[in-house]
Amino acid sequence: MSATAPIAVCLKWTPARLDGGPLGPDAADDRFAGISPADRAALELALRLADRLGTTVTAITAGPAGAERALRDALAAGAERAVRLDMATDADSRDVAFELAQSLADAAIVLCGDYSLDRGSGSVPAFVAHHRRIAQALGLVDIDVDTATAATVHATRRLDGGRRELLAIPLPCVLSVEGSLATLRRAPLPRALASRSAHIDVVATPPAHHHGAPAIVTAYRPRARVMPAPAGEVVLDRLRRLTDAGTAPSRGETVVLEPPAAAARIVDALREWGYLP
Amino acid sequence: MPETPDVDVIVVGAGPAGACASIELARAGLQVVLLERGPFPGSKNMYGGVVYPRILDELIPNWWDEAPVQRWVTRRSTMVLTPTQALTVDFRSTAWGAPPYNGATAYRPDFDHWLASHAEAAGAQVLCSTTVVGLLRDANGRVVGVRTDRPDGDLRARLVIACDGVNSFVAKEAGLHPPVDAANYTLGVKETLALPKEVIDERFGVRGREGVDIEILGGTGGVNGGGFVYTNLDTIAIGAVLKLPKLAAQKRRPEEIIAGLKAHPAIAPLVEGAELKEYSAHVIPEAGLAMMPKLTGDGLLVAGDAAAMCLAAGIWLEGVNFAMASGMYAGRAAIDAIRAGDVSTAGLAGYERRLSETFVLRDHRKLKRAPHLVLSDRVQHVYPELITSVAERMFRVDNPEPKPGLRRIVTSERKRLGIRRRDLARDGLDGFRSFG
Repeated sequence: MSATAPIAVCLKWTPARLDGGPLGPDAADDRFAGISPADRAALELALRLADRLGTTVTAITAGPAGAERALRDALAAGAERAVRLDMATDADSRDVAFELAQSLADAAIVLCGDYSLDRGSGSVPAFVAHHRRIAQALGLVDIDVDTATAATVHATRRLDGGRRELLAIPLPCVLSVEGSLATLRRAPLPRALASRSAHIDVVATPPAHHHGAPAIVTAYRPRARVMPAPAGEVVLDRLRRLTDAGTAPSRGETVVLEPPAAAARIVDALREWGYLP
Repeated sequence: MPETPDVDVIVVGAGPAGACASIELARAGLQVVLLERGPFPGSKNMYGGVVYPRILDELIPNWWDEAPVQRWVTRRSTMVLTPTQALTVDFRSTAWGAPPYNGATAYRPDFDHWLASHAEAAGAQVLCSTTVVGLLRDANGRVVGVRTDRPDGDLRARLVIACDGVNSFVAKEAGLHPPVDAANYTLGVKETLALPKEVIDERFGVRGREGVDIEILGGTGGVNGGGFVYTNLDTIAIGAVLKLPKLAAQKRRPEEIIAGLKAHPAIAPLVEGAELKEYSAHVIPEAGLAMMPKLTGDGLLVAGDAAAMCLAAGIWLEGVNFAMASGMYAGRAAIDAIRAGDVSTAGLAGYERRLSETFVLRDHRKLKRAPHLVLSDRVQHVYPELITSVAERMFRVDNPEPKPGLRRIVTSERKRLGIRRRDLARDGLDGFRSFG
């Protein structure tokens, strides 16, 4: 497979947040639905890569008919083909990935945003790579393809602490990019008009079948934070310091301060707790 | 050689005027592109307001079965306020709560979106997030299309209909608007306040989808204008329409004026405990006929707020119905002109003729004195106190004094407030000419 095969971009159509209450959009209101800035960056990157490699872009999404607005916007921006997998917006990630992998079997590069508007698990790109048995990289802030060989993607991945990781990824591959990577181009008027009535391939999908290992659904958990190494000569002491075992649980403290002093106290506390360097 | 048009008609602005124009044009089989700068039709609009959709009978039969209405207005109140008094004329009709209805409160983003969906269903191409930044003209100066903010953004058409709102850049660029005079505009400011539906029902004395429209004279903190309170299903819209030069001269913040209105003893119990969900503001073309631009140019029609089709005449405060009607008639005139192959100003004369034959211009002509009268200093600052003081003395029991006659009360209150008899007579005559 070479990079002259189509480039695919996966767009996650996310309904409006279920905010409820007066004036709050409901989930069925497509006016307030959309795709994430990261997906928009992925689309722009796909279009740039396609220009350089002389290939085309296929935009694909999984969702109800309302999700076609994202595909029409992609067609307006320059995508050649649009595919909608006819699925519910809350379909299981494994099912979505399985269907995406089936529809994108010929894509040399599958681009995704690294987060969706509903702050999902980010697992779909990994599942797609798994189903296709191809490489995957995520959190990318730069991508380049060696046009001479069109066999490898050179990518830069963001790491914690301001570090970067340089990757050489063999094609075909699945790549997740950050929203800051690119700004989606403004669609030209003729393409924008044509996209309103453009053809979109709609793929019927079977009922949910949960491909792969069963997923464990848990509550949202914040990312791990860097902790200083515990002090202590003995391993047991270090473990106790790490786990606070044997110490009275902290109940926090209430302080009454003027705003500048309160702000300084908050910063100090965050530093003490390890949230700030 | 002139370039071939890309489409038959470009409609700029997917508000009520643009949507109705597009419905007519698309149903006639013409190629229509409806351009909207917001991400969806209605997205640039403020929530809430009263809509009188009678004119839709001609476009969407039984529109009430599908229109996104909040409540049907069955109570229409006119309230006169001084800082400590309130006099309300309250009308209620059960007939207005059943088909074919009269007025309705609606969230404009919902209403406009629904109306534009009819244009799309009729065959119009609706393109959002697209701003018209200029007009294209041929060698003779005739409008032949628009330039948008998109790459490769020129679009040519046989005719352009400007429905791009009160600040219509299209009509201004075409030279159809007279020089802007701030005195012709008001600033509409509004808060949307959330309350449970059952609380609104109880406070306003309504049930189910019944709704209330209260128009207020006074209560605007000394700035010429008026106030309003509308009920939606589970929100209340409260706000004021303020004359711009007076607002600027007094250096008042409009939100302070709403705060004062909400604190008035007659209003406070209605909004108590409500949660502020939205604050918004919009300029309104208030002067009616006096500020109306030329409605046609070569290759160009103007409709809706862009043509100052807003009736602000005290007891009648209407805009959306004038926008829908002017858009609809613009669409019909455009169809005739295109079929006749003449989209010059002369060929488009059918537009103004239609407006003149119907309520659109007839109401504006009949009420041409009303905006000036309603916003005049005497009506705004003197007559509310006269009216409420007379009412207070009429209903006050001053035993052992006998009840005074109405004539005596009016005369003494008029003198107390320094109102000259001839000014009262002149204003009364103006009022009779307008409203009589």
